Amino acid sequence: MTALRGWRIFALLGVTAVFACLPLFLPNDYVLQVFFRIVLFAALGLAWNLVGGYAGQLSLGHVAYFGVGAYGMAMLYAHHVPLWLSVLFSALIATGFAAIIGSIVFRLRGPYFTLSTIAFAEVLRLSVTNLPAAGGAIGLSTPALFPPGAFWKMFYLSAVALAFVSFLVNAWTSRSRFGYYLMAIREDEDTAAAVGIDTANYKLRALMASAFLTALGGGLYGSAFQFIVPDSVLSGEISVQIAIITMLGGAGTLLGPVVGAVLLLAASELFKNKFQESHLLTYGILIVIVVLVLPEGIVGGLKQLFQRKTKPPASVAPLAATPAQGGD
Amino acid sequence: MSTILELRNVSKRFGGLRAVKEVSFTMDSGEILFVIGPNGAGKTTVFNLVSGFLHPEEGQILFRGEDITRSAPHVSARKGIGRTFQIVKPLPSLTVQQNVMLGCFMHTGHLHEAEDAASKILDFLQMSHLKDFEARGLPLAALKRLEIARALATKPKLILLDEVVSGLTTSEALALADLLLRLREWGVSVVGGVEHVMQVVMKIADRVVVLDYGAKIAEGKPADVVKDPAVIEAYLGAKYKEMAH
Ligand SMILES: Nc1ncnc2c1ncn2[C@@H]1O[C@H](COP(=O)(O)OP(=O)(O)OP(=O)(O)O)[C@@H](O)[C@H]1O
Ligand SMILES: [Mg+2]
Repeated sequence: MTALRGWRIFALLGVTAVFACLPLFLPNDYVLQVFFRIVLFAALGLAWNLVGGYAGQLSLGHVAYFGVGAYGMAMLYAHHVPLWLSVLFSALIATGFAAIIGSIVFRLRGPYFTLSTIAFAEVLRLSVTNLPAAGGAIGLSTPALFPPGAFWKMFYLSAVALAFVSFLVNAWTSRSRFGYYLMAIREDEDTAAAVGIDTANYKLRALMASAFLTALGGGLYGSAFQFIVPDSVLSGEISVQIAIITMLGGAGTLLGPVVGAVLLLAASELFKNKFQESHLLTYGILIVIVVLVLPEGIVGGLKQLFQRKTKPPASVAPLAATPAQGGD
Repeated sequence: MSTILELRNVSKRFGGLRAVKEVSFTMDSGEILFVIGPNGAGKTTVFNLVSGFLHPEEGQILFRGEDITRSAPHVSARKGIGRTFQIVKPLPSLTVQQNVMLGCFMHTGHLHEAEDAASKILDFLQMSHLKDFEARGLPLAALKRLEIARALATKPKLILLDEVVSGLTTSEALALADLLLRLREWGVSVVGGVEHVMQVVMKIADRVVVLDYGAKIAEGKPADVVKDPAVIEAYLGAKYKEMAH
């Protein structure tokens, strides 16, 4: 395990370094912007992975936290909060929001949980659409986090930093009691409770961490595109995109969200010029593939292939008699 | 000896069905007590009430003198009540060792400490050779032992074993009974629940509580209880009904 860990950390540093260097060689802002999206969605997938992967709670409402990040940043800045502090505060607001939503939706299980996450995100979208203070349906312009000169380079690097932090949080989770508790909740909530896990509390913690990271991503995204409307940063499509990326790559795995983001966004970028709206078709097809052939995602499926232990025995050796010692 | 568990007039209903009716009994620490009774008698429901997975409409449950009638399951677990599930509930995509580690995490936050503790328990239950297999796909006999291992890993003061010897061959059941006897050395009190594996009950139970249709119909030493006409009637009645089908 330790060897694997060492190997992983080097791989991680290497990959991050390569990605971070790419913008120096990219021909134009358009390509850089595509890379920004890929890395940003990798970060969002990693953030979602805590809840949807490790804890196994299929949230399809993560755009709520993304939107709070974007809108919070724009609105706080408009009220004279310093630029970067407004990014941080809006992420904290999203975390508080997650605590409230979570304490309600985590009472529900399975499909009811998923539907309620969608409902909350929709309520938020409709509220913002009808809230003049938030720009209503017309939207808000957002402050630029970086000066025009190195604009996309800096956004790209910020996305890399966010993805890196999200990856570290995932890596820590996968090797900690916290992560084991989340996995136990995913596998069987009754068993989790029987070994003393406060399941509601741990799900909530996972959601809050996830919401914080997701909102940071929303802040970056909102600032990068300079203008936000409910239908961009609060659209249900983003929730679906985040979930699909992670499930395609492998929910509950470390590299899954990264692999998923690269594949899905590269594919929809390539097809976008050929057929409009084809990304919706891509999602549809990918959902079917994930559900039918790759339930554990690409990374999960590969793991099964390569790490498969020899088949478990059909029967176990009977217990050897062990007379009681001492006592009676 | 001190009382570890006490039920006072505990009742539980499911809709119109009274699954547990005014059941009372006490149990000393260190004791091995078996709750027996025919199919549907209410044994599992009693276990769910004691472990906090269900709460009674009436009555009180005391654990080491403390009222736990309305405790949540994870709270009861942390107070020292371990349990197994009659319909086994492994964590399927985790390995056998990881399953057991989840119990160990109640007392340590360090992965390697949990691994070591889990290995010891797997040794005790003679399933070390299975530790790297995923729990899914293991045969039932192994999953039953895994239930016990996971519950023991939380270092319970009281362990509730729901039908852990059912579905095993007689020699297996007796070997498992030997292991259960050794739990005394660990300072664990045991409440077992079985429908009909009387050999095990006769061998290791200090005392038996008999349920029928949710009510306690007898209580005492195993040898006395099996001679009780009410008990014989409850079991034979059930058997005759089965044969009629
Ligand atoms: N969750 C539930 N909802 C409704 N009825 C239930 C529920 N759980 C148990 N019952 C009913 O309560 C009665 C007692 O069930 P219980 O499982 O406690 O019996 P048992 O003694 O454990 O039986 P077995 O030997 O089959 O394990 C049965 O009639 C059962 O059908
Ligand atoms: Mg039962």
